Amino acid sequence: MSASLAPECNEVKERYDSCFLKWYSEKYLRGKGTTDECADLFKDYKQCLTSVLKKRGIDKMLEEAREDHKENDALNMRRK
Amino acid sequence: MVKFYESSYDYAYSFPAVTLAYFLRYPNPYSTHVLSTDVISRTIDEAGRLQTTRVHRKSSRLPSAVLKLLPKSVLGNVSGGRSESFVLEMSTIDVKEGWMRTESKNLDWTGILSVVEKQQYRRHIPIDEGDDFNVAAGTTGVTTTVMFRSRLGDRLRARAMRKDETASNDGEEEPKKSFLANWSKTGIQRSIEVIASRKTESQLGHAKEGMTVVLERMRRGGLVGVLEGMRKDRELVYNPEAKV
Repeated sequence: MSASLAPECNEVKERYDSCFLKWYSEKYLRGKGTTDECADLFKDYKQCLTSVLKKRGIDKMLEEAREDHKENDALNMRRK
Repeated sequence: MVKFYESSYDYAYSFPAVTLAYFLRYPNPYSTHVLSTDVISRTIDEAGRLQTTRVHRKSSRLPSAVLKLLPKSVLGNVSGGRSESFVLEMSTIDVKEGWMRTESKNLDWTGILSVVEKQQYRRHIPIDEGDDFNVAAGTTGVTTTVMFRSRLGDRLRARAMRKDETASNDGEEEPKKSFLANWSKTGIQRSIEVIASRKTESQLGHAKEGMTVVLERMRRGGLVGVLEGMRKDRELVYNPEAKV
């Protein structure tokens, strides 16, 4: 499995990834996956990751990426 | 300023296999520069489509040709052209209709160059209702579009537009005073885009090779085969000396 950018989250990520792969390949791809069965594991993983994203300033970059998107949409609208 | 690159390709693997390989494509022997992959959000919408947002961390090396063009003030804390960069990846999969759309963009360095890669995957042969998940059934087409955009160019455009609006009619031109300054900026920008698009062609090749390695592992050993291969690749990323 791919590593997490935060080594301290590797364990929870691996647990979530394994759950997702099983659900995705055995249920979703067969048209039976209407609910996310790995939500609890994702919550643990996300909780670990969020603090690291904040610490490293990546949450800000994500926000900026969204802002940039809006800015360009507005620009393209005006051009038409 | 916007520059496009487009290409199409057919994977000789089923749509379900290709989507799975997409999620599992890192690490592979062609992606040793990808250091980590994290899921930021994952939801199923009302139509039953799976939407995933991920962040990849890559060790990147700016081409020396690009480094030479850039002022020190832009480069910031890059030493020897080496830095880490983050890529945001969004994907939507509709398993019933048989398509997957992806969009990836760089999160940093956007002041120099924004690269947006969009991919459209499509199931080519309707899969057997009895066994959807069959690695061997059907093929999957993919069209990749890469767009290069410089924020510098957008700012210049925005400025020109404001001038348009204040001008009484259409036949406007850039003021002569700023012509030289704009020319040198767009000159650098163009060079960066040319270098970046050359690099992109080789990187798209690697991306395809990487996907194929993962798909082939799946065909031979199923999910277990893929995960075993990943484990070995991961050792190579973190322990380049330990040849497997």
